[in-house]
Amino acid sequence: MSPLTSLGQKTLDALESLGRSAIFLAQALCHLPRAEGVRLWLRQMYFVGVMSLPIVAVSGLFIGMVIALQGYLVLSGFGADEALGQMVALSLLRELAPVVTALLFAGRAGSALTAEIGLMKATEQLSSMEMIGVDPLRRVISPRLWAGFVSMPILTVFFSVIGIAGGYLVGVDWLGVDQGSFWGNMQSSVVFMDDVMNGMLKSVVFGVVVTWIAVFQGYDLVPTSEGISRATTRTVVFGSLAVLGLDFILTALMFGEF
Amino acid sequence: MKRSKWLETGVGAFVLAGFLGLVFLGLQVSGLAPGQAEQNFTVHANFSNIGGLKERSRVTMAGVTVGRITDIELDPQWLEGRITMKIDSDVGEKLSEDSTASILTAGLLGEKYIGLSTGGAPEMIKDGGTIRDTQSALVLEELIQQFVSNMSK
Amino acid sequence: MSDSTLVSVENLHFSRAGRPIFSGVDLEIPKGRITAIMGPSGTGKTTLLKLIAGQLTPDSGSVHVGQDNVHRLSRQALFRMRRRMGMLFQSGALFSDLSVFENVAFPLRVHTDLPEHMIRDLVLIKLQAVGLRGARDLMPAELSGGMTRRVALARAIALDPDLIMYDEPFVGQDPISMGVLVTLIRRLNSAFNMTAIVVSHDIKETLSIADHVYVIADGRVMASGSPASLREAQDPRVSQFIRGEPDGPVPFHYPSKNFYEDILAPSEVS
Repeated sequence: MSPLTSLGQKTLDALESLGRSAIFLAQALCHLPRAEGVRLWLRQMYFVGVMSLPIVAVSGLFIGMVIALQGYLVLSGFGADEALGQMVALSLLRELAPVVTALLFAGRAGSALTAEIGLMKATEQLSSMEMIGVDPLRRVISPRLWAGFVSMPILTVFFSVIGIAGGYLVGVDWLGVDQGSFWGNMQSSVVFMDDVMNGMLKSVVFGVVVTWIAVFQGYDLVPTSEGISRATTRTVVFGSLAVLGLDFILTALMFGEF
Repeated sequence: MKRSKWLETGVGAFVLAGFLGLVFLGLQVSGLAPGQAEQNFTVHANFSNIGGLKERSRVTMAGVTVGRITDIELDPQWLEGRITMKIDSDVGEKLSEDSTASILTAGLLGEKYIGLSTGGAPEMIKDGGTIRDTQSALVLEELIQQFVSNMSK
Repeated sequence: MSDSTLVSVENLHFSRAGRPIFSGVDLEIPKGRITAIMGPSGTGKTTLLKLIAGQLTPDSGSVHVGQDNVHRLSRQALFRMRRRMGMLFQSGALFSDLSVFENVAFPLRVHTDLPEHMIRDLVLIKLQAVGLRGARDLMPAELSGGMTRRVALARAIALDPDLIMYDEPFVGQDPISMGVLVTLIRRLNSAFNMTAIVVSHDIKETLSIADHVYVIADGRVMASGSPASLREAQDPRVSQFIRGEPDGPVPFHYPSKNFYEDILAPSEVS
């Protein structure tokens, strides 16, 4: 096969896979939720959301502390160390909280979703569910998708709050920045509708994309051990790349002045 | 299927804590205060030079932030910068007709913002009205140029 | 199609990844009987079951279950039709996060609004039928292969389907559990008048329970008839399969060039 043919083939394959995943998403989401569905969703919320909390909290704390430390070193050079609060809050709310949470989510919850669904496929559980007359898209896929969609913004809020607390700890308690100017500068520079809500919007987009990738990779994989391990890797790689790429686009749209 | 109560409680706590976190971000981090007057009093002002003012820049009165700039455009009639700002309505209602708006700088090189000060006229500015008395931004280059040309005279 | 036929397959063509699997298969599965579909490994027997259940779509040809053309049904109608079918998977395919009891209760919970105590009674009846009432609280990971398959059978018959499909029910079973399964299949058929399709290559057990047998090879039906008539068959390919001879018209070797030439050929390894 010539390189050109193979390139064309790869492009066609990628397009086909994109189309399949879009149809898959539409089929999984296009139906009314029922009482049964809510319970399944709660269950997945626990595994996808609550269980991701520790890693998100610890990462948020450390990242908040590091920003405060680095920021202090730079800002105190200009004698502007009272702007520390604003620096910590803006960098967390606008960028770090949505992006790092999404990356952690892809690594922890995304890969677990892919492996779980892949294993259900490999052991014919999805197939036998179809034979019982239950649509796995509704029963297995849909609750996991919704759990991911809802969990990500909540985890992002956690990340921001704990990160700001970490920044406060280092900035105010250790480095002696004035507490009043820490909060005051933060409050005068952070605009709720712009900074907080744009960060939330980002996290909603990331939540949809990462969960979609994870669940689709699990549903679409080749049901062998090698297939599962490849799909899990793909979830983390594609998920992370999608988050970073989309972050640039969203930032340009939200904060750019064109 | 075992109905595990702790699981549902856990998810409930998770969602509630997320909501509380958002409230924290609103109140403590963005400084939204409950019951705070809404910033829905619109005032316009024309400046011959807006010199680095941006949308979302602060509007202050006596140094206190009372609103934000929502729109900047070029007034096609006078070819001046026309600024739209939204300020606290209870402050807006106390602005007299002859109030002044000036473009100020935080420190020598800091961000630009608008400072309002009220005058003594009995009529008040209406919502959507225009402040006539404005003072444009000090542009450092122009100051230096004036200084140099005065020196050389 | 006569009234006594439950499933009819007409001129079915199917290929996977460009390789033809079926090229013109015709089958009729009579109501209330056990029909066996036999053939060497890799002839697509499991694929045939998935085509009947509508999990795969053929290239051409049709599959009717009752009056419905399976591949013309909407997604919803297809799922409704499957409630009247049960399928026993080769691996059992139990839901690994549910206990034995909940696995059997699953179809009842999703398709009926029965109160909890009736579900309990029904599940215990089905588990009693496969002799595993005592194992109801175990998780699938704690079961042996034979027990797994019996639980899966209890789950497949939970809704009393009209048609039950067995995919290689005897593979990898010790003689005792094989005997148990043979008895169970026969009893389900005679007691509940359930139509059964058994896909297998275990000749002795399959011939002992089937009313009618189809032998599939090379993508088409090679022979069909009662077990007795197949034992008498003159066709060398059929008799090779039935008697289990290693070599004959169905070759032992995967198609390749002459062994002698291959051995003497210059090395392909670079």
